[in-house]
Amino acid sequence: MSNLADRFAELPDLLAGHLLLSVSALVIGIAISLPVGIAATRRPRLRGAALAVAGLIQTVPSMALLALMVPLLGGMIGFVPAFIALTLYSVLPVLGGTVTGILEIDPTMTEAARGVGMTDRQSLRLVELPLAAPVIIAGIRTATVWVVGMATLSTPVGAPSLGNYIFLGLQTRNWLAVVFGCFFAAALAVVLDRLVLLIERATRRRSPRLAWAAGVGLIAIIVGGLLPAAARWIPDAGPTLVSESRVNREIASSGRPLAGRELVIGSKGFTEQYILAELLGLELEAAGAVVGTRPNMGSTILFDALRSNTVHVSVDYSGTIWAAIMKRPRPIGRTEMLIEVAGWLEREHGVITVGPLGFENAYALAMRRDRAADLGIRSIADLGPIAPRLTIAGDPEFFGRLEWTRVREIYGLDGVRTRGMDSTFMYGAVRDGAVDLITAYSTDGRIDAFDLEVLSDPKQAFPPYDAVLLLSPEAARDGKLEATLKPLVNSISNHLMRSANRDVDVDGFSVEMAAKRLRDRIVSSRR
Amino acid sequence: MTLELLHIGVSYDGGRTFAVDDVSLAVEQGELVALVGESGCGKTTTLKTINRLVEPTRGRVKIEGEDTAGRDRVELRRSIGYVFQGIGLFPHLSIADNVGVVPRLLGWEHERIARRVAELLELVRLDPTEVATRMPAELSGGQQQRVGFARALAAGPSLMLLDEPFGALDPITRDGLRSEFADLQKELRFTAVLVTHDMTEALLMADRIIVMREGLIVGEGVPSDLMRHAEDPHVARLMAWPARQAEQLAAMVGDDGSEPG
Repeated sequence: MSNLADRFAELPDLLAGHLLLSVSALVIGIAISLPVGIAATRRPRLRGAALAVAGLIQTVPSMALLALMVPLLGGMIGFVPAFIALTLYSVLPVLGGTVTGILEIDPTMTEAARGVGMTDRQSLRLVELPLAAPVIIAGIRTATVWVVGMATLSTPVGAPSLGNYIFLGLQTRNWLAVVFGCFFAAALAVVLDRLVLLIERATRRRSPRLAWAAGVGLIAIIVGGLLPAAARWIPDAGPTLVSESRVNREIASSGRPLAGRELVIGSKGFTEQYILAELLGLELEAAGAVVGTRPNMGSTILFDALRSNTVHVSVDYSGTIWAAIMKRPRPIGRTEMLIEVAGWLEREHGVITVGPLGFENAYALAMRRDRAADLGIRSIADLGPIAPRLTIAGDPEFFGRLEWTRVREIYGLDGVRTRGMDSTFMYGAVRDGAVDLITAYSTDGRIDAFDLEVLSDPKQAFPPYDAVLLLSPEAARDGKLEATLKPLVNSISNHLMRSANRDVDVDGFSVEMAAKRLRDRIVSSRR
Repeated sequence: MTLELLHIGVSYDGGRTFAVDDVSLAVEQGELVALVGESGCGKTTTLKTINRLVEPTRGRVKIEGEDTAGRDRVELRRSIGYVFQGIGLFPHLSIADNVGVVPRLLGWEHERIARRVAELLELVRLDPTEVATRMPAELSGGQQQRVGFARALAAGPSLMLLDEPFGALDPITRDGLRSEFADLQKELRFTAVLVTHDMTEALLMADRIIVMREGLIVGEGVPSDLMRHAEDPHVARLMAWPARQAEQLAAMVGDDGSEPG
């Protein structure tokens, strides 16, 4: 039950983000494609070009289009890249609808329009657009449903949406959250679709009553969707708009070190990161901060967000920064690396390292214990001779990283077949024998639960992966944030982290609950 | 209003071939001239050069002695009534809005348009209270064409262009509407150019007939003259057609009108 209550607590913000993103992308998308579509019906050459470009955009997978916006905008994350990608995506159906709708009008109608003495503009406004309206509206409705659906994919580029539920649920095996996100995204799509239909009917029948209904509906949706979240953004909002617990919390928080500060915690897309983000949120809220989260971001996107102060706090891993951000091909010793990474981050980007959290979440190759015994495999070095017969599953990010290149080279694993899949599923896949090996995370609770063996790495192909707590340059400036989070340094052992991950991945606790349990365990382990 | 076409030529391929070639004709005030000929003879193209839906490649069109090439196309079309092949009512507009479309384009006041619409609907024998708010699809073919006439007459044009106006109607409705239109034309005294491929229609309605073939005028005259002695064999054959048909029909039922046999 508390799981469901947690989901509802996030709903106003996520619904508002989703609504704002979808509606603004649709409005701008229509504002671009309708005039271009009309112009294209007058100029065949423009028509070919416009439809070709719009069609080309559509062939880019929606997830890739979103991801591409980040580097194209110089590493910007959040609303803007998601908005631009969704706007581009909405162009084809509206453009296509406009062009088809107008060109398919019976030519006697356009000749009649000219024959009675209409100018081109009058013919368009009085005859062609009204006659093409059903087809254009059909295009707008398609775009509406697409955009609302695609907006769920904007979570990884840092724009909060109902997709947060879906990604969280997928990563933490919280299927209730997935269903929750799908339900509200679908409901939003249906409501907006109906509304477009209502607007069309109102204009077609010139019915003031329907127009009123459509207008009221539109305002109700926008206000209803944005108000609860807006109330949180406006500090002076009246108490009627803010939940009582929040008021109490705000009263209680005054006088605390971070009172009233708005901080955004970023996280990558796997269980441990979700739990740590929640834990950090608890700490910061206890210190009086107003906390937002940007979950499920890729490593480099998250780092860009931190560097540019879009995200203020994140947890990363020394080896990941070393290989993926600093692009150093060869790993070094564990302590040395921590010092090197912290120095480089501050020097190059002004990012402050609060310190290591105390556990290491290394990439490691794991296989079923019984299968390893059958094949006589104890370390990665034993894999070389049988490499062509093996299939390895891992998160898609891993196979593109320097670590994989290195492991492959050092241990001669070139013949291994790779299968990228979401980390949620790879543990089950190796347990059930669908793949031979996985690129496990060493803190994952399922290593023990599924009786997997972590293969040793005698040639140290993998770098150390100490979890480190990072602050953005702006957030670190006054030192209060650093002081608040300092107690977390070296407070989470490998064992504690693994139990917390196991709580979610194996025992079905919610992320919030696992974070609270982790917090309690940290406190009791200090005593 | 007088209308003159002077050596009109229309080419769609930059002057290599002509769909309409050197057509000249003059129409007197209040006269109804029919352009006849087979499909593709250039009669509709010739008609469209008058309101500049087609721009002539050569020659000029004069209305009241003024060259239409110097006039604004849109303004010219608003001053000429035009009845379309296939009626061409706007399906998304009510009957009243269809009839009032030209006055609205001319910027008339709301009440004046409403009065004019009611007047016109009565003129074409439709009950304004019954049809004004209805949509074109709710009317019969004959009623729709009456609305088509009303729309063409809305701004009180002194020149009407009619392109197969009765083509989409059943024979009985067609006969009734033809005679009504003829009465209307006598009453309102507008000049009219009628395009038709139906010889009977041309012979019964027109003051003068122009016969076209392959873009050229091959015959011209008042109906009775053309029927009696046409020089061109093609024209003669065309003119004889209605009479021959009538003879064939008469033969079937016997000359005296009794049953054969």
